[in-house]
Amino acid sequence: MQRTQTVAMLYLDESDREFWAPSLKEVPGLLSIAVDGDLTHALEQLGGAVANLRLVILSSRLYPVQHPELARRIRSACPQSELLLVSASGVSSPPLMPLYADNVRHLAINPTGSGRSDREELSAAVEMLVARRPWEISSCLKQGTSIHSFQLHSTEDKEALIGALEAVLAGEGEEYELLRQKGALLADELLENALYDAPRGAHGGKLFKKGEQRAMLPGERIVFSFGFDGGTLALQLTDNWGSLEPDLVIEFLARNQEAGSKSDDEGGRGLFIIWRFLDQFHVNVHPGQETAVGGHLQLSSGLNPEAPRGFHITEHQIGEAA
Amino acid sequence: MNSEPTEGFDYFALEGNIDAQSEKYFKDLPARVRCSQVRFNFIKTGRVNSMGIALLLRCFKEIREAKKADILLEGLTPMHTMLFKMTGVFLLASPVVSQGSGKGGVA
Repeated sequence: MQRTQTVAMLYLDESDREFWAPSLKEVPGLLSIAVDGDLTHALEQLGGAVANLRLVILSSRLYPVQHPELARRIRSACPQSELLLVSASGVSSPPLMPLYADNVRHLAINPTGSGRSDREELSAAVEMLVARRPWEISSCLKQGTSIHSFQLHSTEDKEALIGALEAVLAGEGEEYELLRQKGALLADELLENALYDAPRGAHGGKLFKKGEQRAMLPGERIVFSFGFDGGTLALQLTDNWGSLEPDLVIEFLARNQEAGSKSDDEGGRGLFIIWRFLDQFHVNVHPGQETAVGGHLQLSSGLNPEAPRGFHITEHQIGEAA
Repeated sequence: MNSEPTEGFDYFALEGNIDAQSEKYFKDLPARVRCSQVRFNFIKTGRVNSMGIALLLRCFKEIREAKKADILLEGLTPMHTMLFKMTGVFLLASPVVSQGSGKGGVA
C-alpha cells in the first residue's frame, strides 16, 4: 500500500540530499526531491503530492540565495503547506529579510553532532509542524525533569525569579557560569517583554513604560516557567494578552540581523537577543488570548555571535484542530 | 556608577545592571565628557539588557557626534562582548584588551 506523503524536502542536488539523509531518516513518508538544476521539474514532482502535503522543507543551499523565488512558487502550488528552512550548523545563518518577505516562519539548524538525539531533534520539529502543534517546554528536556512555574504579581517579582532560575543552574566551572549569565539575560528579556510590550490599549498603544513599577492588572496573567535537565535549559514566558504579531517577530529578527545596525531605537531588540542566545527560539501566538515565547539552549552551547540559530513562529486559534 | 577625572581621558566605571533604571545616568553622561577619549570600565557591571543596549548606543552616539571623542571599553566579560558584537555597540566603541595594571591596547 502506498504511504501518504505529508512532508516533502527539496535539496539542491544529490550531495545535499546525502548530507540531510541521516537527520531526516526518522521522518515518515518523506517525499525527497533533488532539484539538480531543473526547478520546474522539481516543482512538478512536488505538485503531484500536493493534496496531502502539510510541510515542505527547503535546504538553505536552495533558498533564499540560490532560488529566491522558490518560497513564493511553492506557496502558490501548495498554499496549505507550512514551509521550513533547514540550514547546516557549520555555515553562516541565512539572511532573514527574504524569509520575512515570503512569510517563512520556521528555520531549523542541523546540530553539530550526528548522534541519535540530534536526529530526533529535527524529527521532533518536523512532527510538531505536521501536527500543527505548538512547542512545549518539556519536549526538549529529559523525561521527569521538574518544570518550575511562577505567576507574576508585580514587576517587583522580576529579580527574585531570575534568582530562582540561577539557583536551578547551580554548578561549578565556566560552562555553568556562562549558562547562568545567559539564563539570567534571557529571563530578563522575556519578563520585560511580557511586562511592558505585551499590555496594549484598545488602539494598540503600549500601556506601560519600561522600568515603570506596576502590579498585574485585574485578569492579567503572566507565567514564567523553566526546567534544566543537567544538559539543556528550557524557558517559557506566557502572557494572556496575545498581542505579539508573528509577522512583526520575524521582521524584528531580520532588521536586527542586518549588519551595521546601531540604531538606538531598533524595535524588537529584546526578541532578537532572546533568539541569538537560544539554540532554538519558539513563539506561539493565539491572537488576543495568549502569547508564549521561549526555547532552549545547551549547557555546552558556548558563545559564538555568528552561530546560526533556529526559530519557529506560529499562530494558532484556541481550540484549532490539528 | 562613578567617574574619576584622569589626565588625558574621561573615565567612567559602570556598576550593577544596565537597564531602564539607568536611563537618567546615561542621558546626563555625555555632558560630563571633556576629553577627546572616553574610557568605560565594565568590570563591576552585571546584566546589560536590550534597554541597556539602547541607552549605551544613544549615549555613545552623542559622545562621538557632539564631543567628537573616541570611546574605549574595558573590563568586558565574554557575555558583554557577544552582546555588544551582535547589537552594533562595537561600531561606536572599541574594546580594550587588558594587559594588566590599568594599561591596555585596543582589540
